[in-house]
Amino acid sequence: MATVTALDDRVLEGLAEIVGHQYVLTSKTARINRARVPSMFAVHRWEEHVPQVVVLPASAHEVSEIVKLANRERIPVVPRAGGTGLVDGAVPLNRGILVDIKRMDHVGEVDLAERAITVGPGVNMFKLNEMLRPYGVMYPDNPASYTCALVGGRIGTNGWSLLGARFGHVRNLVISFEIVLPTGEIIRVGEGGGIKTRSSSSGYRLKELFMGTQGTLGIVTEATLELVKRPEAEFSAFWLQRSYDTAWKTGGELMRSGYATIAGVMLFDERKVDFVRRDDEAYVPQPDWCEAVCAFALYGNRAEVRPAAKEMMRIAKASGGEYVGDEIAQLDWSARHDRYATPLHGRTPNGQVAPMSWHCEDAGIPYPKVPEIRKRWHAIVDDLVARHPIFDDWGMFSYTNGPYKPWGDMLCEIDVGIWEEHLDDETWGAWVDCKREIARASIEVGGTISAAHGSSRAGEVDLVPLELGGAYDVMKTIKRALDPNNIMNPGKYGLDSAYEDG
Amino acid sequence: MQGYRRADQTPPPAQRITDLVVMRHEHIYEVDPDLMTEHVEQQHIPAWDMLRMVDSRLEWLYMLQAHFSDERVSGEELLAEIEAEEASHP
Repeated sequence: MATVTALDDRVLEGLAEIVGHQYVLTSKTARINRARVPSMFAVHRWEEHVPQVVVLPASAHEVSEIVKLANRERIPVVPRAGGTGLVDGAVPLNRGILVDIKRMDHVGEVDLAERAITVGPGVNMFKLNEMLRPYGVMYPDNPASYTCALVGGRIGTNGWSLLGARFGHVRNLVISFEIVLPTGEIIRVGEGGGIKTRSSSSGYRLKELFMGTQGTLGIVTEATLELVKRPEAEFSAFWLQRSYDTAWKTGGELMRSGYATIAGVMLFDERKVDFVRRDDEAYVPQPDWCEAVCAFALYGNRAEVRPAAKEMMRIAKASGGEYVGDEIAQLDWSARHDRYATPLHGRTPNGQVAPMSWHCEDAGIPYPKVPEIRKRWHAIVDDLVARHPIFDDWGMFSYTNGPYKPWGDMLCEIDVGIWEEHLDDETWGAWVDCKREIARASIEVGGTISAAHGSSRAGEVDLVPLELGGAYDVMKTIKRALDPNNIMNPGKYGLDSAYEDG
Repeated sequence: MQGYRRADQTPPPAQRITDLVVMRHEHIYEVDPDLMTEHVEQQHIPAWDMLRMVDSRLEWLYMLQAHFSDERVSGEELLAEIEAEEASHP
């Protein structure tokens, strides 16, 4: 494994020759600001993850030269885009050179004939779509970090979109992309050799291979994105339900209803409802009988959305629930486009407010198993909270998971508040054990450890070989073949083990 | 002439909404201050500033709506149509 304790002047000068002195940052501020992401973090050990140097390249050529230098010197390289990920892909676990791609924010021609646009990895989706609005098209990748995440990070994490059931997720929305390999070669992967071609049977499926690697197989330097017709109409509805079982059954019926404009169907369990009842940002007046919420959203042409919404409202009404009304439904849905803005506070066992950061464990769970995983996850977190009251259970949320296919399995998240100020080795260890048990339960019900965020953090990463079986050994073979010196984001996904036998 | 009047900036008395929540301005809900005494104390925010923050948030949410689509379909209208149909074809 590539490790480094200090970068000497020769290395810093080499980096400056590549990107220019002003884009080699060595100040504490520049480095500390790039040491973590919103993912749960061993705050008490933050100094272990501060990069030695930050560089801001402007082109694929510069990225390639940085990577070649890192290979010569055996220095870790960690790519970082918006730094909004909910796993630790952008955290420099072994320090080294942090490659911040924000300067690579070029936007190419809007190709309305082929419905595509080529951009740099430092482009933000919100800003891109504001630019695209006069053209009547949009790039519909919509994470909760929509207003601050960047295209490069979305590819590096194989991002999941709130509108995925309607428009697809990142793997469906990125037509092709350019990537600098761990040894410095620059290649483009997509559908065969086509930059804007949507389907090809030529060669291996390399686009999928290089997507979601958490930066372990290279650095994305350009991407060609899908443009869809900007929706004329949006519909969102939140239905209060008397029991989780009713919400789950209603959600299943809506998921299987067959309407093509469905962007998502959501479920909130009773713990999530309790959280909303005590949170001043998200507080919504609701009757005492409400124990769950079933919600759904649609996007598309007016002529399609309105009739489909009416039939889905008919299904929801038949469940015996109560519609929250247009104002709350529309504003609550709108707030889901920027959940990162939410100020957070948790509760201690005596009900007092404490400053807590938000953490969510996500998994892909078969629809029939969602009620079971809900009970198992809460039991695991209840045990943690009973032993360590710096944690707080904020409830479970489920969302249709498949691109274009809102049925079959759901993205499930259990949100946990963590009073990071009080973390130490004991509580961090308890948290890692908790995460491992949550992941184990997900696998045991036939699910996957993560549907959206990735599974490279402490705890869950231990079970990736269990989930993937022989495919994990293939991952290690690929990693070692493409990154012989293990310089590209070492320490992630347990892939250091690929180098242990020599 | 308008000016800053300290007395005008004192929020209205809290109205209890639930065991955990109070309301001082219409539709603006706050955590019960009694639950913010040990680890986090509730800040004293002038009325104009509280209203500014809420208005700003609403403005942002309405902007996001317009960002994603031209119009919103009303669930209340759809429900009214469904109920009318059910009434005419019981």
